[in-house]
Amino acid sequence: MSEPFLNAKHRVLRRTVRAFCEQELRPIAAEIDQEARFPWEVMEKMGRLGYFGIQAPQELGGAGLDSLSYAVTIEEISRVSGSIGLCLSVHNSVALYPILAFGSREQHQRWVPGLAAGQKIGAFCLTEPNVGSDASAITATALPEDGKWRVNANKVFVTNGGIADICLIFARTDPSAGRKGISVVVAERGTKGFVVGDLEDLCGMRANPVSSIRLYDCLLPRENLLGRTGQGLAIGLAALDTGRIGIAAQALGIAQAALEEGVRYANQRQQFGVPIGRHQAIQMMIADMATQVDAARLLVYRAAQLKDQGEPVGKAAAQAKLFAAEAACLVTDLAVQIHGGYGYSKAYAVERYYRDARVTRIYEGTSEVHRMVIAREVLAGS
Amino acid sequence: MPIHSIVCIKSVVRTAPDGVGRRTPENSELNPFDRPALEAALRIKETLGGTVTVLSMGPPVGVEALAEAQAMGADRAVLVCDAALAGSDTLVTSRVLAAAVQRLSPYDFVFFGTRTSDSDTGQVGPQTATLLAIPFVSGVKQMEPREHAWEITRLMDDWQELWRVNVPAAVSIHPRFYAPRPIALGGIAQAHDQLDVQSWRLADLGIANDRAGLVGSPTRVAKLQKIVRKRTCRMLTGEPREQVEALVEILTAKGVMGS
Repeated sequence: MSEPFLNAKHRVLRRTVRAFCEQELRPIAAEIDQEARFPWEVMEKMGRLGYFGIQAPQELGGAGLDSLSYAVTIEEISRVSGSIGLCLSVHNSVALYPILAFGSREQHQRWVPGLAAGQKIGAFCLTEPNVGSDASAITATALPEDGKWRVNANKVFVTNGGIADICLIFARTDPSAGRKGISVVVAERGTKGFVVGDLEDLCGMRANPVSSIRLYDCLLPRENLLGRTGQGLAIGLAALDTGRIGIAAQALGIAQAALEEGVRYANQRQQFGVPIGRHQAIQMMIADMATQVDAARLLVYRAAQLKDQGEPVGKAAAQAKLFAAEAACLVTDLAVQIHGGYGYSKAYAVERYYRDARVTRIYEGTSEVHRMVIAREVLAGS
Repeated sequence: MPIHSIVCIKSVVRTAPDGVGRRTPENSELNPFDRPALEAALRIKETLGGTVTVLSMGPPVGVEALAEAQAMGADRAVLVCDAALAGSDTLVTSRVLAAAVQRLSPYDFVFFGTRTSDSDTGQVGPQTATLLAIPFVSGVKQMEPREHAWEITRLMDDWQELWRVNVPAAVSIHPRFYAPRPIALGGIAQAHDQLDVQSWRLADLGIANDRAGLVGSPTRVAKLQKIVRKRTCRMLTGEPREQVEALVEILTAKGVMGS
């Protein structure tokens, strides 16, 4: 079957990423989930092969690939391990991308080569205990003081938090300016006052060290400001537009994995004297799963291609993220159903896919927030 | 001492559900047995310097396998592509590759995989070397440069042979000893964003159309038939010890276990 949107480069890329993940990640995917362990041994290899700088330009040490390549890469990694797909999606699209898009030449030289090589890991610190969908309500502060920023922040649910070296901190540089007083400062691990909180004990995505990050009177150099003061929310939204493609691709990869396992089991498991795939009840599920996965893939690739063409991507990315996340939850749920009691056991991979899929409807914008984004654009355009 | 290597690769058909291998981009890939050959050439280039050229004969879809080889690290890629090549057997393929290798002279080594995953003849390497009138060592495990010659170790069953060979020479690489490197994502971007595959036609190689393709091939596949093996199940009975003994006896008789 010919896949729309993809060219020779994307085909080679998919084969390459799949071969790497099958060889390196598949054997440990269940174990790192159960042990909540970040697999440094594999991540170091991925760093050398360009997985940490997928879209960064080659002159800064990146792989120099396009958005569609990025989506295919995250999809294939997530097909084997959602946690590692998450690590690389966040690192590439909401940590490294804003630095590339909004950073100065000096900031590029300073941070991009390390991030693109995977020697430094990036994180995006927006969420606070009482700040979720309403990002404009953040309470963290970064106040100018003697040519530096004095930063106080309590950031929670930070993906990659436990291992992050370079963190984008959303904070108020002008507490009196409301939405326009929010800026992004870059905090490096090891700075005095930079504290990594306990790792979260999560339902899924367990191999990713999600933690809180707190900054206590942390003094950051003036040149750590990303973009201009007051540009914080704009940077955040631009990052999330890109991030949505990554999370959508991640959800797609998980759904694809669940579909494959569902099909395999339906052909293998015998009940009433025939493989259960011969029963119409199971066939209905398989048909729905395959259709959901295909539709999600078309939306994800379309959003990525629009980005590559320099078109506005807000609505398309939101639609892709919304649909792929909902599809991932539906498809993993059906995969568990096809497996029956075995699907509820950690002995079968669909149990992990089911847990991993759930959060894709929540992070980097909930499904409800995405519906708001889509509706706003649709209504404005009519 | 820079070494100039030519690696002959094939774009193979991945699956042929009805026995007919249709070549589409989605159904084609770089022959997995050619990857170790490419790996061996790339390692020599890393140690001694030089160049690695990948060479293929086939329809235009072969460009993708060549670009994949470039993503792995090959410097130059050549595809011999001509409508008159349709239906070529292994002898014609070897004739064409030998002519292309001549055109790429000077060179030190021509590398081949031991076989292809789709047609699996293993003939093209040795035939090409014969037509080029250069030494050929098959199933190579290791290649070491010495003062006046190369020492090449080849593996055969439980034996290994050490050959002293002068270049130019041809080798086929044992897949077990040169695990191909994973392809870096940056390599894929570089190979495809500035796609640089030279395309040669039969006329460029001085081969007449009637010496190629179906008409130039002394052999042709008359029939292709899928073999279905019946799976049987035999239950062993008795005490566990007796069952194990019976099992060992059966496996030894079938040659699965050494006696």
